[in-house]
Amino acid sequence: MADSRKKTIIDTDPGIDDAMAIFLALQSPELDVLGLTTIFGNVYTTLSTRNALHLLEIAGRTDIPVAEGSHVTITKGTKLRVADFVHGADGLGNQNFPPPNGIPIDQSAAAFLVEQANLYPGEVTVVALGPLTNIALALQLDPGFSKKIGKIIILGGAFFVNGNVNPAAEANIFGDPEAADMVFTSGADVLVVGLNVTHQVVMTEADRDKLGRSDGKFAKYLCKILDIYFSYHRYAYETKGVYLHDPATVVAAVDPSLFTYTEGVVRVQTTGISRGLTILYNNKKRFGEVSEWCDKPTVKVAVTVDAPAVLKLVMDRLIDS
Amino acid sequence: MADLNDASGLLGSFAKPEKLIIDTDPGIDDAMAIFMAFRSPELEVLGLTTVFGNVLVECATHNALLLCEMAGRSDVPVAEGSPEPLKGGTPRVADFVHGSNGLGNVILPSPSMKKVEKSAAEFLVDTVSQYPGEVSILALGPLTNLAHAIKMDSTFASKVKRLVILGGAFFSLGNVNPAAEANIYGDPEAADCVFTCGANIVIIGINITTQVQLTDEDLLEIRESKGKHAQVLCDMCKFYRDWHVKSDGVYGIFLHDPVSFVALVRPDLFTYKSGVVRVETQGISVGHTLMDQGIKKWNSDNPWSGFSPVSVAWTVKVDEVTNYVKELLMKP
Repeated sequence: MADSRKKTIIDTDPGIDDAMAIFLALQSPELDVLGLTTIFGNVYTTLSTRNALHLLEIAGRTDIPVAEGSHVTITKGTKLRVADFVHGADGLGNQNFPPPNGIPIDQSAAAFLVEQANLYPGEVTVVALGPLTNIALALQLDPGFSKKIGKIIILGGAFFVNGNVNPAAEANIFGDPEAADMVFTSGADVLVVGLNVTHQVVMTEADRDKLGRSDGKFAKYLCKILDIYFSYHRYAYETKGVYLHDPATVVAAVDPSLFTYTEGVVRVQTTGISRGLTILYNNKKRFGEVSEWCDKPTVKVAVTVDAPAVLKLVMDRLIDS
Repeated sequence: MADLNDASGLLGSFAKPEKLIIDTDPGIDDAMAIFMAFRSPELEVLGLTTVFGNVLVECATHNALLLCEMAGRSDVPVAEGSPEPLKGGTPRVADFVHGSNGLGNVILPSPSMKKVEKSAAEFLVDTVSQYPGEVSILALGPLTNLAHAIKMDSTFASKVKRLVILGGAFFSLGNVNPAAEANIYGDPEAADCVFTCGANIVIIGINITTQVQLTDEDLLEIRESKGKHAQVLCDMCKFYRDWHVKSDGVYGIFLHDPVSFVALVRPDLFTYKSGVVRVETQGISVGHTLMDQGIKKWNSDNPWSGFSPVSVAWTVKVDEVTNYVKELLMKP
């Protein structure tokens, strides 16, 4: 019988909500996780790799390869912004987990992405939860990548709302704006899930307590590491819930019908005070002059989300683990 | 007309008219706003200052003089402003929106009155200094003259009563390109200077003004009215209206400048959000206006930190503003 599961590679910078997203993906019968690729973002790449290996060991899925990604931006930038104040110094809520036993495969993230796209042309979905450096490197490595990769589902950007790094920019895009602009204009089948959507998917303290009280293996683990994430949200947003950015993006792969989309050209501002700003042009208005949005491939951008259904799917699958 | 009469009657009894300078690049919708200001007894128009934008500055001055004469207000001084943005270079001119003469290619006589000797920036600084705390400014074009005034006189910002600005696109598409609105795009450096100068500022973006339209039916109604300038404005609007069909599929016109004028005289017809606004001056989104809505406590300083907040129009009572504009344009 043919395997109807979506072949999925998760490009990730774990990260508390990345951990939740990875567990959710592993718990989703719709997805076949081919591998994890790592990137800087919530933490530096080395720590991302270590955390990715650790999370797979927790899940008992050491069969899944981890390919380490870039340590610098696509323009070789080394001054990276990492969000350790959101996720803890270890990226996983300062829990002092022992180091993993496993090691990453002897292949870069970009090489792994290219290899899998060539192995299963048109079949592989990349769920990108961090800055887009690895995907941009894959585009540079193989000019055919944009056509051979099945779908790229991206957590990133802030469409017609403020960012979360500063008023202009969302963290993943801010992490490597040049890479993001390359990916958005690459012609690949791209779906972008921005803050305008993920800010609607909120886990409350009551939800977290429900995870803690359950017998779910992943639920219990996550409940512990979520503390620092809740503290940060209480401080920064004066809210008692947390945004489920990464899990919501995995849900877009699991059940795309829980979102609505618009289609248009997305460009990323790479200089100035609004570096990392994402601007969507949905072709509804005609302009008198040629602009930087003209004659570029379009992407899909999530516009609305059935937030209660997304939260329920996340909760149910984590509890049932 | 109830609102207008009430307002003027009320003000006439105990309030002096509000002193106003209009900084403008006429422009068809500028012409509407200027005529509306002259028909408003609650305002005392101290002068017009001109800037490039819809047309080149020489043409803007020509049109400003002409509009004053047409309104029977040759007493109002017109001061010519900057021919180019702060950073220099040839300005972008929207002749494809307003026609090559800025007034919908309607042929009009030349004005006989002359501009004043002073530059727009000098006129702004001198007038505001003469009546500190009393002068409001309605800015309908790129903000070059205001930026020059701020640079010329460090107390200018604190002496202006109110600065009502048409410009920007807040959390919406621009009208020059997806990132930028025309007035801000015309001089992004000037706009950033003005928005961060600390003055009492209200910004009306195209996210607001594009909600308020005159339809073809409205324009016909105005044409058939006894409004003092109804005929000539409707003649001018033909060209403007045809552009709207082409660019936005709108069978009518957006009321950018008139809506901003209404925000000046009837601020109660809008709601506002307060926050720091910065303008991008580089890259593909040059001219983009970005407001910090204050939803999040930032963990480190960013380019929005430390500046005074401004008021950004957030919602508009569309029907009431439309009616206000129509009634004023149809006033005999």
